[in-house]
Amino acid sequence: MSEYLTGIALLILVITGVGVFKVLRARPAVERMMAIQLLGTGGAAATLLLSAASASPAIADMSLLLVLFAAFSCSAFALGHFVPAPDTSSEAEDRR
Amino acid sequence: MTLGLDLTLIAGLLALALHVVIVRDDRNAVVAFVAFGLLLGLAWVRLYSVDVALTEAAIGGGVTGVLLLRTEALIRPASAAPTASRRSGGALAAIACVLLAGGLAIAVLSFPNPAPTLAPEAAEALGRTGLGNPVTAVLLAYRSLDTLLEKIVLIIALVGLWSLAPETLWGGAPELHPTAIPEPLVYLARVLPPFGVLIAVYEFWVGADAPGGTFQAGTILAAMYLLVLKAGLRPAPEVKRTALRVLVAGGPALFLAVGFLGFLMADGFLSFPDGAAKPLIVGIEAALTLSIAGILSLLVAGPPSKAPAP
Repeated sequence: MSEYLTGIALLILVITGVGVFKVLRARPAVERMMAIQLLGTGGAAATLLLSAASASPAIADMSLLLVLFAAFSCSAFALGHFVPAPDTSSEAEDRR
Repeated sequence: MTLGLDLTLIAGLLALALHVVIVRDDRNAVVAFVAFGLLLGLAWVRLYSVDVALTEAAIGGGVTGVLLLRTEALIRPASAAPTASRRSGGALAAIACVLLAGGLAIAVLSFPNPAPTLAPEAAEALGRTGLGNPVTAVLLAYRSLDTLLEKIVLIIALVGLWSLAPETLWGGAPELHPTAIPEPLVYLARVLPPFGVLIAVYEFWVGADAPGGTFQAGTILAAMYLLVLKAGLRPAPEVKRTALRVLVAGGPALFLAVGFLGFLMADGFLSFPDGAAKPLIVGIEAALTLSIAGILSLLVAGPPSKAPAP
């Protein structure tokens, strides 16, 4: 059972990782902050599974913090000084 | 299966770290750095250091991101175009980082096996403190002097930051929220803090017996307060206010007072009397949690930028 749960956690991590790198290269710069949200959700799922696999409830607390701080960090990018519109430097990087 | 998990984590961490360094736009680097912090938390879970994992998620995946973004917004005009001197500086930093990482790797690999450890002694004396979490016992009982000095360093950092304010603004309030606040941010700032405060209280309380503790709880509280400030739901406090200063200095002051009480009630400075260790530690932790929350949120908020009300 423990092996099985760890396997699912691995699968989730791999999928999340692929997603994160896809989103980090997204065209509109604002979308990139969703990478953090994705990692928070995927990481929380993985920690919950690992917590069940190793029968240590403390690891489940980690998923609480991951979700909380993913949401918090995303809010930081929603601030006024994160001007999304004309973003020449990142467009130059996309063309690369 | 666990090997596959660990290898995936390492690969993800390395790829994210490379992305942070290579990406040209500073804000994208900050986004990737925050993601790196969250993933690093998972790596600490795999290393069975859940206390460190929780701190890493709170600091690396939370407060640091806001701090870096605010800094980036301040220095953006100066760092618009990468100049030649910036490039050569980057190369120098890369070489220094590779050397440092290589040295650390050699040091870690050359540890004797089994590594010298104080863990059995720490676990053995745990009963005398009444605590169940050896990490909290190390932080607040065995090596409490280090913890006390750490908190005092935080206060000094805050005073240093405040002193960056011009003479006329001294004692005033920092300015956090932009002129136009996005509606979703206001909504999030109303919905998230109740959950955050609940999780912080839980982390503080569980810290005595399981992974968690003051620093994690304080960081969560600080993040929630920053969210409220950023959404403009509450004005930032003027730093000359007495209540604010009492909050900031209260935790370390209580810690110091209990430390001196050790001369009267126990063997000396910072030693706890038998049987009363746990209530004393939990009391100190409660005051420290509030102080850390205050200090961290004010550190991120920055120096005063509005003149104080007369």
